[in-house]
Amino acid sequence: MNAVFYIAAAVALISTIMVITRLNAIHALLYLIVSLLAVAVIFFTLGAAFAAALEVIIYAGAIMVLFVFVVMLFNLGPSATAQESQWLSLSAWIGPAILALVLVGELAFIITRGAAIAPAAGVVEPKQVGVALYGPYLLGVELAALLLLAAMVGAYHLGREWGDEATGRRGDGATEGKRDGEKEE
Amino acid sequence: MMATVPTEYGLLLAGMLFALGLIGVLVRRNIVFILMSLEIMLNATGLAFVTAGARWAQADGQVMYLFILSMAAAEVAVGLALVLKLKRQFKTLDADAASRMHG
Amino acid sequence: MIRMTIDDLVALSPLLAIAAASVALMMVIAFYRDARAALVCALAGIALAFAMLPVAASKAPRQITQLLILDQYALFYLGLLFITCFAVALLAHGYLGRLGGQLEELYVVLLLATTGGAALVMSAHFVSFFLGLEILSVSLYVLIAYPRRSARGVEAGIKYLILAAASAAFMLFGMALIYAELGTMEFAQMASGMAGGDVRQELLLIGQAMIFVGVGFKLAVAPFHVWAPDVYEGAPAPVTAFIATVSKGAVFALLVRYFANLGDEVVQPFFPALAAIAVASMFVGNLLALEQTNVKRILAYSSIAHMGYLLVAFLAGGSLGATAVAFYLVAYFVTNLIAFGVVTILSGRREADEIEDYRGLFWRRPWLATTFLAALLSLGGIPLTAGFMGKFYVLMAGVESALWLLAVILAVNTMISFYYYLRVAFMMFRDAPEGEAAAIRPLPSLSFMGATALALLTLLMVWIGVYPGPLVQTIRSMVAGLR
Repeated sequence: MNAVFYIAAAVALISTIMVITRLNAIHALLYLIVSLLAVAVIFFTLGAAFAAALEVIIYAGAIMVLFVFVVMLFNLGPSATAQESQWLSLSAWIGPAILALVLVGELAFIITRGAAIAPAAGVVEPKQVGVALYGPYLLGVELAALLLLAAMVGAYHLGREWGDEATGRRGDGATEGKRDGEKEE
Repeated sequence: MMATVPTEYGLLLAGMLFALGLIGVLVRRNIVFILMSLEIMLNATGLAFVTAGARWAQADGQVMYLFILSMAAAEVAVGLALVLKLKRQFKTLDADAASRMHG
Repeated sequence: MIRMTIDDLVALSPLLAIAAASVALMMVIAFYRDARAALVCALAGIALAFAMLPVAASKAPRQITQLLILDQYALFYLGLLFITCFAVALLAHGYLGRLGGQLEELYVVLLLATTGGAALVMSAHFVSFFLGLEILSVSLYVLIAYPRRSARGVEAGIKYLILAAASAAFMLFGMALIYAELGTMEFAQMASGMAGGDVRQELLLIGQAMIFVGVGFKLAVAPFHVWAPDVYEGAPAPVTAFIATVSKGAVFALLVRYFANLGDEVVQPFFPALAAIAVASMFVGNLLALEQTNVKRILAYSSIAHMGYLLVAFLAGGSLGATAVAFYLVAYFVTNLIAFGVVTILSGRREADEIEDYRGLFWRRPWLATTFLAALLSLGGIPLTAGFMGKFYVLMAGVESALWLLAVILAVNTMISFYYYLRVAFMMFRDAPEGEAAAIRPLPSLSFMGATALALLTLLMVWIGVYPGPLVQTIRSMVAGLR
């Protein structure tokens, strides 16, 4: 199990370094997703299978998709097509793909070796987590619900189109600079 | 049966990921990248909690991880809504323009 | 398996009421959008939550699951938070009316933020500590960037979000380290765990230090204060009042409870660092405030300095320290609400936050100017105001614990602070420049709600300053029950 942990840790570190050094947002997101998948494998080696599943489903799935969605939203326009082809170039996805393949290899290893390599100590079954969540931590669940409610109401209000707000700061240097930037495209 | 992963290594990895995320927050100037780096930091804290929970064989670590997950989702939702609002106010869809706003 | 009983629910009723009020208000807004109806619903919700306090008090002290605790200490701060939220809602009404647009969601988020603060002052566990703080933070991001045309607000909101999320991550990592060492996240059980032999103290120290980073950011004390002036300036005036009071007060109340549980030995290694933070906050706040020309920025730097004063009381420790913290917080809450209330009442589409906006205010709005003057004097700590009594108790706690140097620095800083408070005060008595009278912006008409709130708060401030006895008695009895 230790070898699986070390390899996954290396994948996580490499892909995280790639995230913070990329210039293109989509490339960075690809690496970030690989990093999250690697952390999911690490969760499994730590005996937290439930957390591993949630890492893939919610973190790599839902939250990252939100990121991709917003980044895509910014790039609508004439330059989008050019960027699309640039994103799909080999160099963009070969790195994340290799790292992801390493993780797939680990997954295959774990599946073929089966229970023999399951972590010995510290395993926390999903059932235990559920019992804790709806037992002693019930109020925590309620508070988390309020947290999400605040985020929902807030995102709704902030993300709403008002139609008249593109005023910015009139005569501001920053605004002027951006208009120039648009013309260049 | 192989040996289990020592708690120290899990915490060390979490610390390294956390540091990388912090570097990202400090160095990057584009808001979308800063939000991504914040996600890395939060994910690292989640890893630290799951590692700690595994040390004590308690469910508490994973419960805290779940709450961190919901916090990360809330932060991202509001953060991206703010970024959208910023873009709309300054009449640009250029994601890199955000870099000029920061700091 | 832990089961909640009826008694638990009764003890929890203030928190339940304020949370239910936010959800109910959201439902009302979904079907009937009206600023006045939304305000009335919000006020009714807060009043209901406040009315639940005596009901809940009959069950105090009571531990509700592992996460929350309801004792006299929590009840006191819950009352303070609810009153503050009530005042902010009243002040926000007129402000929103001048801003225009469909703005009822503000009350929903305001109630949620107060719920987060309420969870904070009741928490006895890392989970509720973290979740309460996050509810507060996420609500504040929204409130800061709330007005739809405010470019400054969006910038301030993003800045606050990035820094708050990063500091929350620090805090969480610190909690994880402590949990990894102790195997418990309950405050009450940590003290015994820390005394154990096989615990690596250095990891615990790092963990506590990282928690301090998160808390220090929320309080905006010296090395973590950079966000405060920009956010204070960019946020709408009523929201600034909320940030200055509820967000800082709830976190400070939690800090006191956390360390009361852990014991003095845990604070001891951090004493030099915390003392340095207190001194730096006082000097940074007061010296940088001297050269500001924006009233909101002046108040931001002044609140950095006030957090430094509070840290002196915190460092003094013991029941006298906790009493001083509570009294100072009450005085600070009331005074700041008045100061930002005046700014709110004068603001409309444009924030009235330049010092020039206050030129000759006394001759145009004598009552408003007098109120503002009283608030400024109280912030400075002139005798017969709430601020003076607050400083008096802090100094007393400091001297009692023989923190001579900190006490002297506090006194020196109080002197410095008079300069910029009086600068704003004198501006109100200046004559408007001749011949430019027509160029002066017309003042918005005084809203009834706002004026009422201000009048009540001013009465409260004078009462606390002149006759602090009853409040001190209440605080003494509530601090006595603090573990």
